[in-house]
Amino acid sequence: MKTTPASFLDSAVISRLLALPLNARQAMTGSVSGRHRSPVRGSSVEFAQYRKYVPGDDTRRLDWRTWGRTDRFYIKEFEADTNLRLALIVDASGSMGYGPAGATRLDYGRKLGGSLGYLAAQQGDAVGLWGVGRDHRQKLPAKRGAAHLRLVLDQLAALEAKGETTLLESLHEAAEQISQRALVVVVSDFFIEPAKLKHALQHLRFRKHDVALFQVLDPMELDFTFDRPARFVDMEGGEIVLADPSLISRRYQEVVKKYLAEMDEVIRTTGVDYQRVMMKEPFEEVLAKFLLSRLQSKGRR
Amino acid sequence: MSFLAPLLLFALPLALLPVVIHLIHLLRRRQVKWAAMMFLLAAQRMNKGLSKLRQYLILLFRMLAVAALIFMIGRPLAGGLLGLTGGAPDSVIILLDRSASMEEQLLATGTGKRTAGLRNLTAAIKDAYGKRSKLVLIDSATLQPVNLENAEALADVPQSGPTDTAADVPSMLQSALDYITTNQTGRTDVWLVSDMRQSDWNARGGRWASLRAAFATLQGVRFQVLAYPETSPSDLGISVERVTRRETNDKAELLLDIRLNSADPAAGPRTVPLRVVVNGVGSTLNAEMKGAQVLLQARAIPIDKATKRGWGRVELPADASPADNVYHFVFDQPAPLKSVIVSDSAEVSGPLTAALTAPLEPGRTYPSSVLPLARAAEISWEDTALIVWQGALPGKDSAVAKQLELHVAAGRTLLFMPPAQPDDTAFMGVNWTPWQSAAGDQPALVEWWRSDAGLLAGTRAGTALPVGETEARRWCGLAGDVVPLARLGGEAGKGLLLAQAARDGGNGAYFLTTLPTVGDSSLARDGVVMFAMLHRALQDGAATLGNARQKSAAVDALGAEPAAWKRLDIENADSVLPVDRPLRAGVLERAAGGSAGSADNNSGAGAATGGTGKDSLLIALNRPPDEDAPQTVGRAVLEELMAGLDWRLLERTLENEKSLTSEIWRTFLLLMAAALVLEALLSMPPRRSLAAPGPGGELKSPAA
Repeated sequence: MKTTPASFLDSAVISRLLALPLNARQAMTGSVSGRHRSPVRGSSVEFAQYRKYVPGDDTRRLDWRTWGRTDRFYIKEFEADTNLRLALIVDASGSMGYGPAGATRLDYGRKLGGSLGYLAAQQGDAVGLWGVGRDHRQKLPAKRGAAHLRLVLDQLAALEAKGETTLLESLHEAAEQISQRALVVVVSDFFIEPAKLKHALQHLRFRKHDVALFQVLDPMELDFTFDRPARFVDMEGGEIVLADPSLISRRYQEVVKKYLAEMDEVIRTTGVDYQRVMMKEPFEEVLAKFLLSRLQSKGRR
Repeated sequence: MSFLAPLLLFALPLALLPVVIHLIHLLRRRQVKWAAMMFLLAAQRMNKGLSKLRQYLILLFRMLAVAALIFMIGRPLAGGLLGLTGGAPDSVIILLDRSASMEEQLLATGTGKRTAGLRNLTAAIKDAYGKRSKLVLIDSATLQPVNLENAEALADVPQSGPTDTAADVPSMLQSALDYITTNQTGRTDVWLVSDMRQSDWNARGGRWASLRAAFATLQGVRFQVLAYPETSPSDLGISVERVTRRETNDKAELLLDIRLNSADPAAGPRTVPLRVVVNGVGSTLNAEMKGAQVLLQARAIPIDKATKRGWGRVELPADASPADNVYHFVFDQPAPLKSVIVSDSAEVSGPLTAALTAPLEPGRTYPSSVLPLARAAEISWEDTALIVWQGALPGKDSAVAKQLELHVAAGRTLLFMPPAQPDDTAFMGVNWTPWQSAAGDQPALVEWWRSDAGLLAGTRAGTALPVGETEARRWCGLAGDVVPLARLGGEAGKGLLLAQAARDGGNGAYFLTTLPTVGDSSLARDGVVMFAMLHRALQDGAATLGNARQKSAAVDALGAEPAAWKRLDIENADSVLPVDRPLRAGVLERAAGGSAGSADNNSGAGAATGGTGKDSLLIALNRPPDEDAPQTVGRAVLEELMAGLDWRLLERTLENEKSLTSEIWRTFLLLMAAALVLEALLSMPPRRSLAAPGPGGELKSPAA
């Protein structure tokens, strides 16, 4: 069955989530006025500071009352509100196809990404999409407007989980190619070495992007609770492994535990927003938790 | 190790079944599309060595279990550690004790020790060695190695049959040693089947040390002693010590001295019925017996006056040991008890002649002659029972010395008395040393003498000879290996009065260290001791003379031509093979004028010319007297004898005839069980770790 935006966008969920704004954790540099703070001073209603007049300043922004009281020229500066650029990076490698048909990891990622894109568009932000995979590299730059959102959602629906992952290259590429500050949301299983991921995240952070990671996992991938020996076929086209879970599950869990600890360390040192999501969790809760956590950290420049 | 159902071993490839199943399982494993391959590969890498080893071990134990099952249903046989360790040697040498005592049997089954040992050994060799080892039999009677084609032949060859001989274990080992060194047998198992009689093992003999040393130098020689040491306490043995034909005016009779032995020294008084057969006619007499031994003296058996010679036997009722229930005897006109005194001194030869010619038994003649030393070669060697030699010992290489040695070897008696001037010349390794005299006027008295046997033994009535009253004023010393028979004591020091040259396997010459003359000793004056001593020596020497002789069964008992002898005591005389005739008890006759002259004097068997020369020669062969001694060699003695050698003692009894080999399927059952338990332990899944992270909310994002 072909995937359409309607299959991963749940209007009821979105309508409930619309009550929560999608905030950036840092100032954004948008092209138009919006509801997000900008690193430059602007003319919004929110007072920022006074500064002395220097020749060339717009005389319309002189604070006459202060001149009247002090006989000195001061410019009254206000916060500039701008719009947000949401760059959705969705991993579409073979491993994202894990899970039952219709409820794969990519399907879950579509729900997360599509809903976030819709929410951002609803509050006037620009939405872009980076589909990550060896076989397809869709790049839709962040733009505003319903027509563009439609395009983004269609591209999202068209993603297929196949091939090896190119997430690291895509992250570095995104860090270079997204010219202005943006909220970069990455949806993936992140089955890559945390040390390499760290470099990519640091690259994004260096470019002043607000980075949020959604790591979508299945409990089976953490517990490895198989009861019988099996032939494990790599979904990204790698080797076939014959394994007896009874013999290696303990080692497997040790490896997973180490990996998660390293991931936590990477998150702590890079300061990115990180959500570890189990595929059985309702995505509404995940998004609500994500949006609520952003309410508290709004406003930093 | 062998199998009762060896065909089942063709199923052994089934042991590979676990591997095949494993491979099929590998191919048929369900396929899982897996995303978190990086974790799986890392876990595989971490677990690789141990996991592989574990997997291989599981497969190995499964294969072992199947193989053990197949072996088990193949019904394996092995002889204890024998079959499971070491494998088959290159050669197996069987030393078989064929002595008369080995015929002791269990009355309920009629199986004797020899038969049981052979049967057990045959099965053991067949099961444990199969046809992989060369089999050699060395029996105690002939000591000749015989190659066997297979284990079954062990019971069939004549060399494993019953005999009435004695066994000499050191000689058997020596034969084995000679065979091993001559044929370079490689890894060799020596099986010794014996009833452990002390007389057979001769633990005090001087050959054990050299045998041990020789075997210790050989690599890969292993000894297995299959022992049947148990003796029946109710066993009785019978022997005839003396047969005399006595004839009076109105009747003739045989006087038999019969000895009864009991294996139980604590047995109470009982009446033993004896059956006496003379020339085929049987009669019965009862003997009262108490304790371990009784001697029935001069039991008279009436015979026809016309019967001058003949044969017979005494029999006991059947008991556990049939070999000692019968004793054969022969009788004939007694041969003259001829003696020769070789001396240059009339003073010495006078009393000796007087003693030797004095008749002891009526109806017998006691001719005696005196020859000077220079005419010693004129001795009538063939019919002289006793030679008394007073003078210098003959030189070793002289013809007379050789004749004297043959005389002794033929069973006759030789008594040396000291010369006036002793020198270093030795005879049988013994030479005279200078004369010694008693200190002062007090003559030396005999302090100790052997009173149980020999020339100075007590009388038949049990009274001791007055040897202790014998005085010696002068005596010669002796140098060499001798067996003392009487020793002088008191202030005179420790000198020997009478001794016998020590010789393995036969009697040596006697040495009397003083002379009967008045100035030297009281032998002539008192007379009794000298008379008894000389007449016993004469009787001993005469035992191998005449046409009727008693001998012990042995391979050389009938001389070089056993086929010339014919059994008299059984109807089908030809049923006994010539090779077996000298080995079995019985009465044998050889026609007069046969090749008697060619018979060797060494054995004395063929010295028919010592008889009348007209009649045929009769010989009664019986088991050697030592076979009646029930004492056995214990494990402690055996450990001393076999010290330093690789040996094992397997004691068996006739009642509980445990096989040397046994079905060892239980071993394989245990092996299979152990393999399955180990496989189960290895297959058991490890305890699940509780550290596995839970989903969702349990894992908080550090940034959250």
